[in-house]
Amino acid sequence: MANDKQLELLQGTLDLLILKAVSLGPFHGYGILLRIQQISKDRLEIQQGSLYPALYRLEDRGLIASEWGESENNRKAKFYRLTASGKRKLQTETENWNRMADVIAGVLRTTPEEV
Amino acid sequence: MWNRLRSWLRATLQRPCVEREMDAELHFHIDAYTEDLVRTGLSREEATRRARIEFGGIEQTKEQCRDASGLNVVESFIQDSRFGLRMLAKNPGFTTVAVLTLTLGIGICTTVFTAFDALLLRPRAVKDPDDLAFVFRTTPEEPHGRFSYPDYIYYRDHNKSFSDLALFAFGMVVTSSELPATGNGAAPRVAGAIGFQLPQLLQGSAQPIGCFFVSGNYFPMLGTLPVQGRLLQPEDDQPSSVPVVLMSGNFWQRAFHSDPKIVGSVLHLDGVAFTVVGVTPVDYMGTAPDVPSLWAPVSASVHLGSLSSRELQSRHVIVGGPQGRLKPGVSFSDAQAELAVLAAQIRASNPEDKAKEGVAVVPGRNDFAMLEPMEWALITAAMAAVVLLLLIACANVASLMLARSAARRKEIALRLALGAGRWRLLRQLLTESILLAVLAGAIALPLSSWMLHLLVVQIASALPSFWGTIALKVSPDIRIFAFTLLVSCVAGVAFGLAPALQASKADVNSALKEEGSAFGLRMSRSRLRGFLIASQMAACLILLINSALLLRGSQRALEINLGYETRRIAYLEMYNPANLHYPQEKMLQMNRSLVQGIASIPGVESVAQASHGPIGGGRWIEIAPASSAPPTSGNGPSEPTGAGYSYVSANYFETMGISVLQGRVFTRAEAEAQEPVAIISEATAKRFWPGQDAIGKRLRIGSENQGMSFPGEKEPFVAGSEVIGIAGDVHSMDLSKVDESYVYLPLSQTRQWTSTLLVRTEVDPTLLLPMIGEEVRRVDPSLPVLGTPLNVMISTDPNFVISRVGGALASVVGVLGLLLACMGVYGLVSYSVAQRTREIGIRMALGARSIQVLRLVMIEGFRPILAGMVIGVVASAGIARLIATTLFGLNPMDAVSFSGVSLLLGAIALLATYLPARRAMRIEPMMALRHD
Repeated sequence: MANDKQLELLQGTLDLLILKAVSLGPFHGYGILLRIQQISKDRLEIQQGSLYPALYRLEDRGLIASEWGESENNRKAKFYRLTASGKRKLQTETENWNRMADVIAGVLRTTPEEV
Repeated sequence: MWNRLRSWLRATLQRPCVEREMDAELHFHIDAYTEDLVRTGLSREEATRRARIEFGGIEQTKEQCRDASGLNVVESFIQDSRFGLRMLAKNPGFTTVAVLTLTLGIGICTTVFTAFDALLLRPRAVKDPDDLAFVFRTTPEEPHGRFSYPDYIYYRDHNKSFSDLALFAFGMVVTSSELPATGNGAAPRVAGAIGFQLPQLLQGSAQPIGCFFVSGNYFPMLGTLPVQGRLLQPEDDQPSSVPVVLMSGNFWQRAFHSDPKIVGSVLHLDGVAFTVVGVTPVDYMGTAPDVPSLWAPVSASVHLGSLSSRELQSRHVIVGGPQGRLKPGVSFSDAQAELAVLAAQIRASNPEDKAKEGVAVVPGRNDFAMLEPMEWALITAAMAAVVLLLLIACANVASLMLARSAARRKEIALRLALGAGRWRLLRQLLTESILLAVLAGAIALPLSSWMLHLLVVQIASALPSFWGTIALKVSPDIRIFAFTLLVSCVAGVAFGLAPALQASKADVNSALKEEGSAFGLRMSRSRLRGFLIASQMAACLILLINSALLLRGSQRALEINLGYETRRIAYLEMYNPANLHYPQEKMLQMNRSLVQGIASIPGVESVAQASHGPIGGGRWIEIAPASSAPPTSGNGPSEPTGAGYSYVSANYFETMGISVLQGRVFTRAEAEAQEPVAIISEATAKRFWPGQDAIGKRLRIGSENQGMSFPGEKEPFVAGSEVIGIAGDVHSMDLSKVDESYVYLPLSQTRQWTSTLLVRTEVDPTLLLPMIGEEVRRVDPSLPVLGTPLNVMISTDPNFVISRVGGALASVVGVLGLLLACMGVYGLVSYSVAQRTREIGIRMALGARSIQVLRLVMIEGFRPILAGMVIGVVASAGIARLIATTLFGLNPMDAVSFSGVSLLLGAIALLATYLPARRAMRIEPMMALRHD
């Protein structure tokens, strides 16, 4: 899975990615990992082990909820889904992220003449 | 929030289940990834290997998950507590001392806080207490004066700031013939132990009932609901209205067993029929400091005769204090400004008033705003002392913890070496201190509620029952519990943090090698603690020496020669005899019967009459040589001066043991004819006629225009009274010194009755008081009489009270401080011994004998003690000199107090040094050297 063009994840963005992935439907932990890689087209590097503490943290805060169910190949797996407050959180965090990206991009685009 | 709680509960309660699920989840991930890798064509072994490597450490991930879901906080808290409790149980000596120290600090802090809150901060239990305002008459001498009735009416009718302005007058006391006479119960223990007694009513004589007088609008203003009948209303407070009275729930229960038919029944008070209109709730105090038995309208004091209607209408008779409710939107300063204008109007229409009288409007929410500067100083001192006590307690426990952490250095270093985080270690040490504090708080709470209970019970039993019922709520409520816990936890963190920080800084290497106990290291650390201990010892010594001085001084005050006999005199005083409405003739007859009846009791030598007793009954009057012009400026000997005076019967001097130095006493004829003759004290003679014979000279006594006086009091006025005798000097107006002037006037036994009798007895007068009580009852069953040995009256003198109470308080605080200081010394020496084990081992290996080691350790421990004691003795001498200028009977250089207290303190401190130092002696050189 290692890829030279992969980016290291920015601090704090894993939570946002998990919320986004789970907003697309209930997944188990491995499924969330696959989904993030799929939608990021394998351009993000995610430590597999770091996924679970993040899931537990989000669940502790009530942003996602979990229940046990059957996986595609009929094994018991823990499925995560977005809660109402998780949905709100995702929305505000997305807005924040976009605003931040705009600002940073704007700053970086600045040429000496504009200052 | 709910989610967190649920996940936390689940984490705590279903620990194994959570662990299993976590395990299953992580393994599912690895298995699924392995399957995917196999599908890409890898061999199963290779796929499994790759999956595990890419996943990372499973145990590490689990630990992170536990942290993330709050599992570990709980886990480590439980672990810390369990470990902490084990550590505390392992050192029962340390734990007991530390917990007791903190218990003392916290318990006393809570007690004083509760008492302060209950007395001064809690809002009154009335409707909207924040709008209440009290109005005082201010003069340069008195910031909290009260008003005459006409002045009150003027303020009530002319102000626009108050929706209601009521009048409250303190308990005048009435008697009722319908109630059984009740004696006072057992003597109050604590007050008795301090030696402070209030004169009590003679058993057998009639008992008065406490009654507060309030204007008719008082209860509507406060808005209370009666439990029976109705409250007082404005219509009750008219001169023409029927006499009515409102009963307190406490009195209703106590004297009438909650009789439901009480409303409408008639109660005879001082012989006047009053109708009971209602009953207030139990413990209802209104704006008063305690619960009276009865509430009556102000007009009732005219019905009762305690005020004549002329006196009620006089601007010179003080009746009570106005209390009002501010209209919405009116501030205290608005009301103050408006009332100041009204006061100026009153001054303008009464030009003879002193110009400096003003008004003060203060918040009536509680008694906080009514404190006098003196009371403020006392309260501040008490609070500061208590906070200081708590601080010392914390400092001492910190010192103990530090001593112990010295012993635990290796344990801590080992844990650091094994990879424990510094924060984790700090948390562990803090948990231990908080555990200590919580334990102490748990003991301190019941302790302080017990102390408060004791205090209230004691105060209540020291007060004569007719003063009212103390209804302080001192059972611990939730706020005070929170306060205790907060104090304990703050204290826990405060005393835990310093040693914890220091311990966690321990250098792993050197601690393990036990190099920390190098010789030079000990000085810098123990210097601060040595300073602390020195100042503690000094403070204790100051407190204890001064308390010894005060107590010995007050003891001497009881034995001081006041110029008259005190131990074989019974002092009797009729309580409010004017209330009986007896005609003059009957009062005189009663006086005669009492004198004769009491004189015939076996053991009684003589009975004298006096308008004012020598102690506690003092009245000032202006006197001057009759020849001199009316008051002029200058300080000549003819300047008028204040003097104590009393109308006395001719046998007064013999009864009281006051010698007549020159001249003679009054003859019966002179007394009956009210001749202008007087006997003066020696000091008076010396003051007005120094170096001359005062006999035959003339004295002007009193002045024509009288100032404000209390109801029923009339000052004498004699323009030219002949001095016929000179009597020995007495201490009367101020027991600490000889009265500058005292004048005795002849008492006519056929024209003047007195409420005071002085009975000379052959034996201790206490033994005769019951018989005297019976005699009083035989003469008149409705006459309440206070009776007490005269020397007990000394204990009501403010100087004596200050000496005794101050001495008792100082010794309690001093002893507690001593206890704490000793714990400090103990901690210091233990610490030093623990730190120097290795050094001591070397010394012993080199041949030092154990006694030398003991001396070494003890000298180091004792040095700060000695320094503190020297400072303490010097400071005490200075403070004692200051106190001696204001209190009597106190010898500021009393050798017994100084040397006794110093020796005792030194011995106790020495013991506190010796106990831990002994451990140094027992150090085995080989063990100490090997010491890992």
